[in-house]
Amino acid sequence: MAATPVLRAREIVHRYRDRVALDGFTLEVPPGTIFGLLGPNGSGKSTFLSLVAAQEQPQAGDLNCWGEPPRRAFRRRIGVVFQEGSLDPLMTPAELLQLFARLYGLPRALARSRARALLERVGLAERAGDRIATLSGGMRRRLELARALLHDPELLVLDEPTTGIDAEEREAIWELLAAARERGATVLFATNDLVEADRVCDRAAFIRAGRVVAVGTPEELKRGLRAETVAVTWECPREEELAQVESWDSVGEVAREEDTVLISTDDARTLIPRLFELAGRRISAVSIHPTTLADAYFAHVGRRAHAEARA
Amino acid sequence: MSAGAVLALAERDLRAVVRSRSQLYSSILTPLLILLFLGTGVSHGLQPANLPAGDFSAYLVAGVVVMTSVFSSTFSSASFYRDRDTGMLRALLVTPQPARAILLGKSLAGVLVGTLQALVVLAVASPLTDLSWQYGYLRGVLLALAVVLLLNLMLAGLAQSLASRIETMQGFHLLMNLALFPLLFFSGAFFPIADLPIWLEVLAYANPLTYAVDALHLAVYARDTREFIGLWVDLPVLTGLAAFAALAGLARLPRVTWSGS
Repeated sequence: MAATPVLRAREIVHRYRDRVALDGFTLEVPPGTIFGLLGPNGSGKSTFLSLVAAQEQPQAGDLNCWGEPPRRAFRRRIGVVFQEGSLDPLMTPAELLQLFARLYGLPRALARSRARALLERVGLAERAGDRIATLSGGMRRRLELARALLHDPELLVLDEPTTGIDAEEREAIWELLAAARERGATVLFATNDLVEADRVCDRAAFIRAGRVVAVGTPEELKRGLRAETVAVTWECPREEELAQVESWDSVGEVAREEDTVLISTDDARTLIPRLFELAGRRISAVSIHPTTLADAYFAHVGRRAHAEARA
Repeated sequence: MSAGAVLALAERDLRAVVRSRSQLYSSILTPLLILLFLGTGVSHGLQPANLPAGDFSAYLVAGVVVMTSVFSSTFSSASFYRDRDTGMLRALLVTPQPARAILLGKSLAGVLVGTLQALVVLAVASPLTDLSWQYGYLRGVLLALAVVLLLNLMLAGLAQSLASRIETMQGFHLLMNLALFPLLFFSGAFFPIADLPIWLEVLAYANPLTYAVDALHLAVYARDTREFIGLWVDLPVLTGLAAFAALAGLARLPRVTWSGS
């Protein structure tokens, strides 16, 4: 029997004045998973997270956390990391964690020991007494994560938790989140980073214009797509040439991005010699990429929608 | 709402004030410098004869104590904007504490900071001027403490109420300066209101700061109660205004969007 979802959203509609942020948003998040919400900017990811954190009430539809509509009391069970920084630069990391421990109702002694242990775990023990203003961007992000983990939440709600930090810091953050999942927590996060999502997600949902357009494990989402994408640097490809390539067996979608032609295929080894026969010296480079979550994402959301939202 | 949470929030704002040394010193030093230069200058240069108990420097003490509280309430509310601009307010609003606990913690810190700063100014000014303490030193200090507490409760409530409605800190400071500093001038802080033209005297009686200045004059400066409004009016008016302003300050809950201000 499938585990009861931590979160169940049914046909949620939410507007900000005339703008529709969520438009029939339906999703289930199983417990103990790292669940990614992937979509272009403005697709409704952050709005959904704010509803889960009981910051707002959905205007229509049903949203249940642990079987009940979100309410303020649930915040004890939820840890939040915002997309933008949310730290007081005049405080020290130790003071910040002790303050929030008290706001989450932890007794003083427990607050102190929990803060110390978490600072140790996120690698900030030596900076515990320094002003937050003096910490690097990555350190601040780790501190925000420590604050979100402070009350041992069952659900972590993270809005682009690794935006703007370097690869090493990202790794450290995902290790902490994986450890939280090992302890039974569910991690719900929004991101634009498709490569990272492919690597860390147990499940993901693609969101477009306030609706979930696909949901599943990364493997499920990739299913039905061709096995590989061949990227060809091709000088002035003609429309009839591209149409010819698209008609070949084992070829799926053919898309052009400036000087590069992206061809999805199940058989790159057969395809590449045929391409050279067709275009000869006008092809200057070829590379083969296994199908990723990004390919699945673009198949569902569309490259143009993503590019327009990013722009 | 837990008292521990409110105290933790107030403690945080108090710590921030202690760390903002320039804010701390300027809100105490400015009124003291006014007392020193304006008090000495007017006492010696103009020799005012209309003061109920002589000496202008002593007369000015009540005014600078009230001025200290006005400065302090304006500075304290800056923490609301700092929290909003740094994103800290968003993080506070996703804790299980109700939004009103955050406001209460800020109010409490504002009242404590304003009261302590005003008392420091009174303590420093006291030996420098010829104060009468007509009710005795201890009762005078207790009365001054009560007045300063009520005044700061009123100012903190007013400042918080305005801060929750005004988008920018610049706009907030502009409005506070526009509203409060003219009020200081016809509150009896710098000159007695008894001999003012009737239109200004009417405005002075409609001015909430007048009652704080009058009560402080009675506590520390006056030799008797003649030429003053009287504590039996000052204290009920201040209590009523403080209660009203404090409730108004808690009435409007802070709202921030998930990803922006």
